[in-house]
Amino acid sequence: MDALLFSLRGGAGNLAAYLAAHVLLCLIPAFFIAGAMTALIPKAAITRWLGRGTRWRVSYPAAAAAGSLLAVCSCTIVPLFAGIYRKGAGLGPAITFLFFAPAGNVLALAYTGSILGAEFAFARIALCLAFGIGIGLAMALLFWRDDAARDARTDELFAGAARIGGAALGVLASLVAVLVAGTLKVAPLDATLAALELPLGWAGNWQATLTDWVPFDAARGEEGVSVQGSLLIAMLVAIGIASWRGLENIVEGANRWTFAALALAAATLVVAALRLAPIAGGLQVALTGRAVAVAAALAAVLHFARRLDAGERQAWLWESWRFVKQIFVLLVAGVFVVGALRQWIAPEWIRAVAGRNDITANAAAVVFGVFMYFPTLVEVPVARMFLDLGMHRGPLLAFLMADPELSLQSMLMVAAVMGRPKTAAYVGLVAVFSVAAGLTYGAWVDGVPPAWIALGLIGVAALLAGALAWLRARAATSIPQGAL
Amino acid sequence: MGKLVKILGPGCANCRKLEAVAREAAAGAGVDAEFVKVTDMQAIMDHGVMATPGLVVGDRLVCSGRIPTQAEIRQWLAAA
Repeated sequence: MDALLFSLRGGAGNLAAYLAAHVLLCLIPAFFIAGAMTALIPKAAITRWLGRGTRWRVSYPAAAAAGSLLAVCSCTIVPLFAGIYRKGAGLGPAITFLFFAPAGNVLALAYTGSILGAEFAFARIALCLAFGIGIGLAMALLFWRDDAARDARTDELFAGAARIGGAALGVLASLVAVLVAGTLKVAPLDATLAALELPLGWAGNWQATLTDWVPFDAARGEEGVSVQGSLLIAMLVAIGIASWRGLENIVEGANRWTFAALALAAATLVVAALRLAPIAGGLQVALTGRAVAVAAALAAVLHFARRLDAGERQAWLWESWRFVKQIFVLLVAGVFVVGALRQWIAPEWIRAVAGRNDITANAAAVVFGVFMYFPTLVEVPVARMFLDLGMHRGPLLAFLMADPELSLQSMLMVAAVMGRPKTAAYVGLVAVFSVAAGLTYGAWVDGVPPAWIALGLIGVAALLAGALAWLRARAATSIPQGAL
Repeated sequence: MGKLVKILGPGCANCRKLEAVAREAAAGAGVDAEFVKVTDMQAIMDHGVMATPGLVVGDRLVCSGRIPTQAEIRQWLAAA
């Protein structure tokens, strides 16, 4: 019984700490950005670079851009993947798109940065981009015969050209500003501009009660719940209720609940950016540079959102809400389970298996990533747990690359679209490349000179590019009328 | 025999929402419509759809990549 209670407390503590302050400043804007990208960026603006006639120098980067800008959930990923593969640029770019989407989208990037640090988020996106293109090229190399003989129908699907509107661009840019102002750790944002003391005598007692409810051990990387955190959790619940009433049927028009939900979301972001601390006999509220910056960016969002037409605005809010429903609930459950499990994992086990950056450790991390299936984004708190328990950052990156790319869901989808032999090759390549990515980043963390790492990466890239060019030349001579 | 309405999509949240909206629209307009869900990727691609959910009324693709309003769907139903 005690053991169960111990686990539950760990789970609740982990969840409460995640929902408080810093995670909200990243996740709320990220959900709105993801919604805006889905609703406001016309797909043709990017897919026109993915037609059959496009040169590979253009189509691979375009596939990666599509992965990061257009694809946040499988609804978008599946049709685009099948479309690029069957009627567009072909197997290679389709694979690059598929590989890069789970790591390159704004939700994954913002969340990784907030939980694991900006450097790690940067390493994840850079290596996923490089290796995503690498895996795409390698697949195109392996199956070039297939690619030459694929569906020869015209690609009018990719012919449309569209531009993203000015107001939509403004909304996206100001939302990104909210995200950056809320999460960037620099002095002007952390500085206190003014402080106010509210005579709320109960604040100290409330903090003591919270610490009693959610005890934490800072040495294990655990965070407790502050007075500010409890306020934010309450506001979050209120947003949830208002959104359910105001956003569920937003397609048919906005109502009073819609405005309540949006106003609450904005207020939550500003409160999260303030600094609230209990002092003797009251509560100190510090106005930070961050709160001012977040408020200014929110005003810009409002300014541009008013210029969108009603249909665009409703589509944007609907997509944002859909992502929240689809991802947030599972994320909350996942964070709880991670917190509960963590109480039972001894740091010595993790250090013994993956405490160093070598091939065994990276391979173990990849195998774990392949066999464990975590819902979207839950891989990030899992990674945080491993990091706190002493896992080396190299194998950690290998795990983060292999897990979302090789989930059961994505493997089934790939198999349905392109058949078993290609799927097997894809899985093998992702495993190998993930180990390579882990070793690369691990070497960087361990202080191997960047020049050596860069040299190694350039060598591999050159080898791949050379092999591809040679194959293209060979394919062109063997299939004179070929689609290459 | 009612009008044929096809919902194209692999079964994600948006496709379910579209189906609900379309059913409400048909019921509200008193149109006798037959609903078919198309989840097979190959069949979806054959309609020339790159972004789900897609909506086919009669034999015409009327909308893809977004959820239309009930008013729009009623117009398409009336035109079909």
